[in-house]
Formats: sequence, structure tokens, C-alpha cells
Amino acid sequence: MNNGLIKEKLEILKKTAKEYFDSACEEFSKKRYNSSVVLYFKSLVALIDLFILQKTSNTPSSHTERFRITKERFKDIYNILDKDFPFYQESYVHLMTKELAEVIKNDVEIMAKKTQINL
Amino acid sequence: MTSKLWLKKHKLIYSKDVLDIVQFGSSVIGDKIPHDLDIAVIFEKIPLKEQLDQSQKIKAQLQKITDLPIHIKSFDFYSFFDKSNFAKENILFCGKSLIGLDNFSKKFGFEPKIQISYSLKDLKKKDKVKFNYLLNGKKGEYGLLRQHGGKLLNPGLIEIFPEHEFIFVGSIKKITNNFEIRKILT
Repeated sequence: MNNGLIKEKLEILKKTAKEYFDSACEEFSKKRYNSSVVLYFKSLVALIDLFILQKTSNTPSSHTERFRITKERFKDIYNILDKDFPFYQESYVHLMTKELAEVIKNDVEIMAKKTQINL
Repeated sequence: MTSKLWLKKHKLIYSKDVLDIVQFGSSVIGDKIPHDLDIAVIFEKIPLKEQLDQSQKIKAQLQKITDLPIHIKSFDFYSFFDKSNFAKENILFCGKSLIGLDNFSKKFGFEPKIQISYSLKDLKKKDKVKFNYLLNGKKGEYGLLRQHGGKLLNPGLIEIFPEHEFIFVGSIKKITNNFEIRKILT
């Protein structure tokens, strides 16, 4: 990936991470925890992709690839992703709780620190 | 690499917050070849974040025992019995404790069983005989009851372990559809 493209992707990922995070907080404040969990997770994934881009100059193109890259190279991030992903998958059929939304929000904040992003 | 993790004691490291580690779902059912393993970790009432972090550590240990992908769920007794937990019946009824190496329901003083009631009334004589051979065996060969530790409670009523439901139902269906299944905790 050339430098111009990397820069552009970095900006997009920062923007989407922040946008999802803000929307997640809004949904959280309205006690809509399913939406909040989904949006926090999307923010988390954007930040994970940002982290991977910062470290490797590439971004994963699917969840499978994201899992593979993090499992091989960034174990602590893989653990976060592996821990939170099932809730995202289940968010269509299960009721999410306030406590769970807070847990995923906390993981987003951890990733924001790792990527040096102000949410 | 095994898929029936509860059949052997594994050296797992976990905190005192863990009440049980339970395998459930399709991987505990008799003759099915599982594609993945479902594990539930039952905790004392501790914060969800701690539950999830501890479950990840347990998952990493279990993943060294099996090649199959593990799906792990974390519960305390409040979330376990919550109406939104659609897995609770399966965990209670079919769950196998990796700590106690026994049925999870034994923790509550129950033993899960399946009762199958059937009628041979409308069957031809040869099918009645076939059915009898199926359950009781013939010429020195064990039938399903002996093979899988089931028992005949009354004529037309057998009791078996939940993990053998598919074996029994699949075999019975080949002869008759006139049967009913009841799940019970005794």
C-alpha cells in the first residue's frame, strides 16, 4: 500500500471509530444497550484495524483475516476481539445489558490508547 | 485430540470465583461428530468484565486440549437463570462438568434423563420383533439399552441418558414414528 493510501485509510478509520463511539454513547444514554453494544464493537473493530495498519501498513479485509492477524501477531488484541465478538454476533437475538456495553466501551478505550486516538 | 473433555480430568488453572466449567451443546451428544465445543463458565457474582477475562484464560487452556474451535460463555447464577439465556435448558440438561466430571445438574441434586414412550400396537409382527431386537439385542449381541445404559421402565416406556437421545430416536424412527419424548430431572 502506498503512503497516500495508508494516510487516507488511517483518516477513515479514525473518523469511523470516533463516529461509532459517539453513536454508541448516545444509544447508551438512551438505555438502548443492543444498539450501543453493536456500535461500541464497530468502533473497537475500526480501532483494531487502525492499530494493524499502524503496525503493518495493511488492513484486514474480513473478520477471519482480522482474527488471523491478531492471533499471530498481537495476542492481547486478539483476546479482546475474541472475547467481544460473540456478543456482536448475538446482538440480533439476545438482549444486551448495560454492564456488557460498559465492558466493550472499556475495551474501545484500551484500543484508543494503543492507537493514540482521542475519542 | 478429544471432543468429550469431561471424560478426563484436565489440569486447568482457574480462580475460586469459578463455580463450574461446563461443556454443553452438540459436542456432548452421543454419536455426533462436533464441529466446535460449547463451554459455559459459571461464576460467583463478580463483575462481568472479570468473568469475561477469566473465561478467556480458561478458553486458552482448553484450546490446548482440543483442535476444535471453542465458544465460551460466562454466567453467574443471576445471568444463567435470566430469561434471556436461551442456552440454560441445554446447559442444565446436557451439560457436563469439567470440574466434577459428571452431569452439571448434579450440582443441584438432579440427574437428567430422557423418557421415550412408544406404542407398537399398529406395527406388523416382524417390526415388533425388530423393535425388540433393537432395544434388547439378539443372539448374544447387546441391544441399545444395554449398550447405552438405558432401562425399560414399563412396557412401552424406556429411560435413557440425554447424550444418547439421537442414537435411540434415530433407530426407533426407522421402525415407528409412534413415540413421544420427555425430558426429566430425577
